[in-house]
Amino acid sequence: MKNNNLLLILLLCIILNSCDKKQAINIAGSTTVLPVISIAAEEFRKNNPEINIIVNEGGSGVGVNQLGEGKIDIGMVSRDITQEEIEAYPNVNFNPISIGKDAVVPVVSSEIYKSGITTLTLEEIAKIYRGEIRNWKELGGPDKEILVIDKEASRGTRHVFMEIVLGDKEAIAEGADLVLGSNNEEQTAIVQSDAAIGMLSNAWLNKDVKGLSIKMLDGTLIEPSIENIINNKFPITRDLLIVTNAEPTGDVKNFIEYLLSSKGQTIVEEAGYVRINQ
Amino acid sequence: MLGSTNKIGKYYVYGSTLISAFIVFLIFTILLINSWDAISIIGLDLLSFKWNAATGEFGILPMLFGTFVVTFISLLIAVPLGIYTAIFTSEILPSKYRFVVKSLLELLAGIPSIIFGLIGIAFFSIWIQDIFNLQSGRTILTAGILLSIMILPTIITLTDDAFHHIPDKYRESAKGLGLYKFEIIKEILIPIAKPDLKAAILLAFGRALGETMAVMLVIGSIDKIPEPIYNWLSPGQTITSKLGREIAETSFGSVHFSAMIFMGLLLFILVLILTILSQNSLKSSNGRLYE
Repeated sequence: MKNNNLLLILLLCIILNSCDKKQAINIAGSTTVLPVISIAAEEFRKNNPEINIIVNEGGSGVGVNQLGEGKIDIGMVSRDITQEEIEAYPNVNFNPISIGKDAVVPVVSSEIYKSGITTLTLEEIAKIYRGEIRNWKELGGPDKEILVIDKEASRGTRHVFMEIVLGDKEAIAEGADLVLGSNNEEQTAIVQSDAAIGMLSNAWLNKDVKGLSIKMLDGTLIEPSIENIINNKFPITRDLLIVTNAEPTGDVKNFIEYLLSSKGQTIVEEAGYVRINQ
Repeated sequence: MLGSTNKIGKYYVYGSTLISAFIVFLIFTILLINSWDAISIIGLDLLSFKWNAATGEFGILPMLFGTFVVTFISLLIAVPLGIYTAIFTSEILPSKYRFVVKSLLELLAGIPSIIFGLIGIAFFSIWIQDIFNLQSGRTILTAGILLSIMILPTIITLTDDAFHHIPDKYRESAKGLGLYKFEIIKEILIPIAKPDLKAAILLAFGRALGETMAVMLVIGSIDKIPEPIYNWLSPGQTITSKLGREIAETSFGSVHFSAMIFMGLLLFILVLILTILSQNSLKSSNGRLYE
């Protein structure tokens, strides 16, 4: 008898659940785009409480794949969609929409920054990632081995960074010591070390994680500042994308319109990125 | 009781067993089917050292190496620690405290692995980094030590039960012959409990092989075999951490996906073998005569 009751309750739960199904927008992907989308989702829900928005991280590659497999409505992607990805999902019509701009900044531990290494050329960064420079001493810093932090292969930040630094978005970094995932994880590792170099989205810099200026071939120094992202001077910039399958409709469309509205763009700015239309 | 009720009960029990067995079979089949692409397209190149999805190189040896080394380290630490703890709780500790102490130790098993991972990242890897003066505390050793804590309850519980099942008359007779407690444990109890201890170790081995989350966070995730090969203070990668990090990034049906599933299949087979071995060991101990 007791068992029967339990079964009944279970059944009721299932029935009730399926009746009360709220509409939900499923979003997943890049941890660079994530802070914008999660705040925007909260704000959006204040006016539209009947719409559930579920946001998950995982990286740009996850955003594209899950959209391709129909598991989500919006993919967050912080790089261009690759040709292989388009070919892998012939039935999906990827429709990227830019919601903001960002820079990928080479970052170092604060100890290294304080020791005087505040600028590097792209060539020097490339040598570090290829494993040709292994000690900060060679760059005029302290006598410490460089902890080279790489990212998982399909992360958007890595694609954009490697495209500019090593010339190929999927280049292998022979000098890498650690391979990490999200911006968060990378940030933690750089803070925990006193001799690390890594790559981070501009919005994730802080006093413990310092962004390097880049010394261009003509000798000018380009800081990772908002102005330099706006005027495209900083060499490693990118669009923050959200991707839908074909033209968005209904709630998804409303949410995207909200992101592109002045309110949505303010959220982009507050998260540390650059709004799309100046 | 009605005959029909009896019958329903019987079918229910049979059905449940069949479903469980079927699920295992299903998982195996799915892994085999999905890894077939990798086996047929990449073939023996799977057993190489370089993994680069962009160029179609899928060498799983670094992951396989990492898996075994991490598991080895964890067993090296957890087996003696676990067995000595179990000897203490079952033979030395007064039995009124045994339950309390044992429950506390078993609580360890209930802690979600992500918690271990977070502790590992926030404190443990930093300690390792400072103690050994390393660039980064995310190493194979860190993962091994963390894992040893996680498999400890498995070893303690099973070993403690093994000692506890030995009838008291063995202890009493031995005492009557004038043996010290140490001698009783070493010469009588451990030899009797040996098959059970073996089973406990094998089960812990299986659990260590399959642990993902905690290992993934602290191991550094680089697909390389350390140089030199015994330098376990360098980052590495296990099969589970590789799967955890990369499986969602692969598109379903690609060779990349298939190669990942192939590693899953290998892990599955390894755990299967370990389970069968430990069951055999337990079977021989169940047939043992205490009388």
